[in-house]
Amino acid sequence: MTAALEFQGVHKSFDGNPALVDAFFLAERGEVHALLGENGAGKSTLMNIACGLYSPDHGAVRVNGESVAIDGPLAANSLGIGMVHQHFKLVENMTVAENIAFCHMSASRRESLNAVRKRIAEASRDIGFEIDPDRRIDTLSVSEQQRTEIIKVMMGGADILILDEPTAVLTDEESTRLLDQLKSFAQQGKSVILITHKLREVFSHADKVTVMRAGATVEAGRDPGELTPVELSRLMVGEAAPSESLELSAGGDVVLELKNISAKRANGTTALDDLTITLRAGQVYGLAGVGGNGQTELAETLMGIRHMESGEFMLSGQVLKRPTPRELRRKGIKTIPAERYIYGLAGDLSVMDNFVVSHLSSGRFGPAGWINRRAILRGTTEAIADYEILGAGLATRSRLLSGGNAQKLVLAREMSGDSTVLLAHSPTRGLDVRACAAVHEYLREACKRDVAILLISEDLDEVLAVSDRVGVINRGRLVGEFDAPVEREAVGQLMVGHA
Amino acid sequence: MQALSLSFLRGRRLTVEVRQKIDFVTRIAIALGAVLFGLGICIAILVSRGVDVSSIYDEFIVFTFLNSAGIATVVVQSTPLVLVGLAAAMAFRVNYWNIGIEGQLFMGVVGCTIIAYFDIGPESLRLPLMFVFSILFGAMWALPAALLKLRLNINEVISTLLLNYIAFYFVLNQVFGPWRDPKDNFPHSPRYDDFERLPKVGWEDVHYGLVVVGLALFFVWWLIERSRFGIQSRFVGINPRMVLAIGLPLSTITLVSALTSGALAGVAGFTIASATEGRLTFTLAAGYGFSGIVIAFLAANRPLMVLVVAFLMGGLYVAGESMKVFYSLPDALVGLFQAAIVLSVTASEFFVRYRLRMAHYERA
Amino acid sequence: MDFLTHWLAFTPIFALPLIAAALGLIINERAGLLNLGAEGIMLCGALVGVIAFIEFDNSPALGFIFAILAGTFLGFCFGFFVVVLRTNQVLTGITFVFLGIGLTGLIGVPWVNKAFSALDPIHIPFLTDIPVIGRFLFGQDIVVYVTFGLAILVWRFLYHTRIGLRLRAVGENPQAADAGGINVEGYRLLAATLGGAFIGLAGGYLSLVIAKIFVEEMTQGRGWIAVALVIFSRWRPWRAVLGGLLFGGIEALIPRLKATGYNIPQYFLEMAPYAVTLAVLIYAAVQMRSGQDAPRALGTPYVREDRK
Repeated sequence: MTAALEFQGVHKSFDGNPALVDAFFLAERGEVHALLGENGAGKSTLMNIACGLYSPDHGAVRVNGESVAIDGPLAANSLGIGMVHQHFKLVENMTVAENIAFCHMSASRRESLNAVRKRIAEASRDIGFEIDPDRRIDTLSVSEQQRTEIIKVMMGGADILILDEPTAVLTDEESTRLLDQLKSFAQQGKSVILITHKLREVFSHADKVTVMRAGATVEAGRDPGELTPVELSRLMVGEAAPSESLELSAGGDVVLELKNISAKRANGTTALDDLTITLRAGQVYGLAGVGGNGQTELAETLMGIRHMESGEFMLSGQVLKRPTPRELRRKGIKTIPAERYIYGLAGDLSVMDNFVVSHLSSGRFGPAGWINRRAILRGTTEAIADYEILGAGLATRSRLLSGGNAQKLVLAREMSGDSTVLLAHSPTRGLDVRACAAVHEYLREACKRDVAILLISEDLDEVLAVSDRVGVINRGRLVGEFDAPVEREAVGQLMVGHA
Repeated sequence: MQALSLSFLRGRRLTVEVRQKIDFVTRIAIALGAVLFGLGICIAILVSRGVDVSSIYDEFIVFTFLNSAGIATVVVQSTPLVLVGLAAAMAFRVNYWNIGIEGQLFMGVVGCTIIAYFDIGPESLRLPLMFVFSILFGAMWALPAALLKLRLNINEVISTLLLNYIAFYFVLNQVFGPWRDPKDNFPHSPRYDDFERLPKVGWEDVHYGLVVVGLALFFVWWLIERSRFGIQSRFVGINPRMVLAIGLPLSTITLVSALTSGALAGVAGFTIASATEGRLTFTLAAGYGFSGIVIAFLAANRPLMVLVVAFLMGGLYVAGESMKVFYSLPDALVGLFQAAIVLSVTASEFFVRYRLRMAHYERA
Repeated sequence: MDFLTHWLAFTPIFALPLIAAALGLIINERAGLLNLGAEGIMLCGALVGVIAFIEFDNSPALGFIFAILAGTFLGFCFGFFVVVLRTNQVLTGITFVFLGIGLTGLIGVPWVNKAFSALDPIHIPFLTDIPVIGRFLFGQDIVVYVTFGLAILVWRFLYHTRIGLRLRAVGENPQAADAGGINVEGYRLLAATLGGAFIGLAGGYLSLVIAKIFVEEMTQGRGWIAVALVIFSRWRPWRAVLGGLLFGGIEALIPRLKATGYNIPQYFLEMAPYAVTLAVLIYAAVQMRSGQDAPRALGTPYVREDRK
């Protein structure tokens, strides 16, 4: 039977950075097809091509066997493709009915708002959802908002339903209900594509599974019944890399404690749920977990740009109330942020400027009124040498450094000067093997200088290779803690399993 | 442009994409090309008004730049332009849109006029006092909008603009009222005394305003290149999100930038009033606000480039003035030229920031 | 009594350019466009209106039509720059102001300083003569009543039509609108053009009815006041009408006060509209600390393939 949706040899880069490399995917009607992979694997990018928001650099896209060029959301809709995105495409201060009405696909211009409302009521009855068309989106719970998105897509006449991480924001009960509903859609002959990173869902509700990693398809269209969880998680997170030798440290005094912290995201979902993390001097604490489980919010809290709703922030025994980034830096808490060019570096400014900027207030580079240029030049040159930052002249714009070298620059800046705590958030994202090894070495060195390090990473290999102690975060909760040496399978299971 | 499906390019699609990198040479080439295009439009406008091309060449190049008297006039005209250019640049580089330069300039002149009118201080100190007061009054006029932005998040474009009008009417009030010159009853303040005027250097009308400009350039250079503030403020304009994460004092940086901007505008007023006009009039600020913005934009907020651009702009002004007289063209001409150049350059930035790309769909 | 009657009678006249411009700006801003060029567009509308009036045998109708067309054209140009070429909205807006001043200065010379009388107020036999409020309510010229009707139309358009709904979606969340199949660029261009029409009307009224003459730079900051008025009115048409009347009242007060012969410093009076606008902005900011009412995507260009 001809496939409902097929991708073959699809490539996509974002201005030089590859996101999809020769990707392949085939979904048929009448089944729930899970698309599995970690963050950055390419699953969302691929499906965004299907719904018309992105266009591939090259490759074939086929719907019902015919090659198509999907111009935009309207074209996708006319092909019967409808997508429920991870970040809902809803206008918060409009009602459900208005949100559905403004979409070309779900409501025609000739229909009055009242007619749209009636159709919404019908559709929600058919599907089995309850939704009040006159409520404003910002008064709805997240699962209700999601239902709005699903109704919108169904009212648009979609045959091929794509859902991007739909259960990420739902409770267990809501998830099960949704998945059951998706199964019944499939039974009605639709093609349901479920983008997920949760193994449990794949085994409980999917008819087929395709796994992607680093922009490529590593396994396509397998029946989950033929696979064990271990095999599937290995496909997702990759084989164990040869481990770097490790001198373990039991860690000194407790330096920083985040106790029972909770935080909510802007859309109301819980990001951190009563989480407690303890960092000790001279120890690397690695936090493993699939992206989107609260790591970003934890990092933001540690950086001072997010205030937690409850819990305590304790530094060397002292409670800090609503600390600002300045305060935290002055107290020695440094960060290597995940988004290098957003929080870490100013791309258009020189290597020198980027290195020096956080150290100016310490007086190391001269008083406020007359900076000591020679000291800056010397300091930057030393840093470039110490950290082997290649391709960097003092005046080179930091944007021109390769990923690895840019990261080393951030490291150089954050690790010079007094630090007591270092947060490394996905420090080797996008770096090649050599650069990774270099970063890991510097982290271990900082450790030797008694810095307490929190490594947050979605790369399990990295966490296992570098950490003295490993914690696993899942849905904002700490679901496991291990002292090194750590068993990979155990951690992997906790990461992709169910909290 | 999101999805231009051109029918003769089957299976392809044109999209707009954000560029991550652009090399310096291309960037400069595009900008220069745009400036030339803008100048071309200016020439076209002149030609359409009956000016012939050779006269344009004579006026703009020969009489202005290839002639001692011409250059001297340009230097005089450029003096306040450099200062307002610096004023605009100091604000814009931290994304603070200070459109109130004209008002701050006026208040700067009010400041010096206070010294002159009330004969404050001994004669030898008169000029320095006027200079200092122009700084104080200019900065003072920039303060309210900055505070409103920092405390209440009120858009500084509108607040500084409204303050422009308030300053203007205040000046009108003074020159039609308490400060009206009793000698001729015209709406301007009494002439400044000779010791209250910036003396000439000896080359045509060029005056010691050059020293003031030199001081200002040095000050700005020091601020941007040699103070802590300089390095920190660079990040505000380029990556504001990083600023907060790194813990830089964003409010202080914005405030200092706004006040410096106002002070420089005030000083520009000082040079105009003390050297050229010799008194407070209500027309002396005309056009300097927008000129400052244009100069800062074309100079990409860099002080040395401001010097160059301001000088060229001075040439434009001078040539424009004589064209106005000769061919009876309206006052607004220079503003129109500036607008044409700015629109041309800003439109060209599209090609710097974005890239048009073709997507291929394979038919299989 | 007489003072009050005259003042009230003139208030809507002075208010009109502000209201019309504010309506146009509301349309712009609801779609996410910050149009700071209103001042320049208004000026061009004023000139073109006068040119058409004089050249077409003193026809006020044609004067207004051409003023509106001028505004529409310039609105479209502004939209082209900021939507298609994605230029910085603040810089482009300000440049358009000086473009407007420059163009009108250049082209307008033959028509400057020619006084005329364009439009008479209506007179309904019994109603207009009601003391105090008679002229205010029933003694205005036809454009005032039309504009009031337009305000209602704009309100209906934004809140009761599908196109208005889509336009608002574009201004609130362009990603959601795009995913919903809305042509974000198209809607923004439409908003820019339509908004320009209103601003052109404002300019035409200024020169044809209020001043009865075209003078260089005659808008005197009204465009900016209109921008502030939109913020103060929280992007709602009816509040823009009320706010406009307030400002118009202040403006109308100035000649009234001068006429009374009291010795009030003239230029402080002239300063009043701007100072009051500033005060109003402060008041509005204090009231809406969180800035919830502004369309969320105001001021930012939209690129679909911008990877987050």
